Amino acid sequence: MTRVTDDIIIRTVARIFIPFIQLYALYVIMHGHHSPGGGFQGGVILGASFILYLITHGLEEAKLRMSEVKAGIFSSFGVLIYSGIGLLCLILGSNYLDYGELSAILRVVPAQARSLGILGVEIGVGIAVMAVMFSIFFDISTGGVLAEDDEGEEEGG
Amino acid sequence: MTNFFLYLGLGLFSLVLLCLYRGIFGPGVLNRIAAISAIGTKTLVILLLMGFIYRRVDMFVDISMVYALLNFIGTITAAKYLEIKGEV
Repeated sequence: MTRVTDDIIIRTVARIFIPFIQLYALYVIMHGHHSPGGGFQGGVILGASFILYLITHGLEEAKLRMSEVKAGIFSSFGVLIYSGIGLLCLILGSNYLDYGELSAILRVVPAQARSLGILGVEIGVGIAVMAVMFSIFFDISTGGVLAEDDEGEEEGG
Repeated sequence: MTNFFLYLGLGLFSLVLLCLYRGIFGPGVLNRIAAISAIGTKTLVILLLMGFIYRRVDMFVDISMVYALLNFIGTITAAKYLEIKGEV
């Protein structure tokens, strides 16, 4: 699953599709509180675009776009956004992930602060899910054995 | 008009059963992959018909687009795996 395919149809279709898939994933993340979807579903679609890139363009070319170390950093960063917003609410004197208190920082009414707070949490969840999905597929497709170890030890995901 | 969509969905469901027979008993792996892909395409149309029945098409369009995308990626992944294994 890590070999470069030589089929021009698959490569061209993937190259044309991947930007639209990522744009649709951002739409699903952003409209999570108006329509079906949310952080997890949008993150899965975003991870599926990277998986499609890895299948069609091979492992070596995919490591330039998203390596194992980058996937680990992204997953940690997404969890940091999620827990950071939750702890910010806790510091402001409310419950964990109770976004109403964020209106003191954002200077908006509490209802709008709740909407913006849940949007920030969904962005964090989307980034984390995307990185973990890609990391799982990366580990499965390589069997846990990487050809070269020039990127330090891999312990992402 | 709702009854029309309902009977259309039931007809597609019977076609899904025929494809499922080919997916379970079909000789060879390629027949099964083609059957699963055809079932995915029919499920997409059934989802849109459900959206027409419940009058919430704007929501069901999102779900069916994701279903089509994952069906496409799943078919390509299975084909790639068979290419590497050299079973065909």
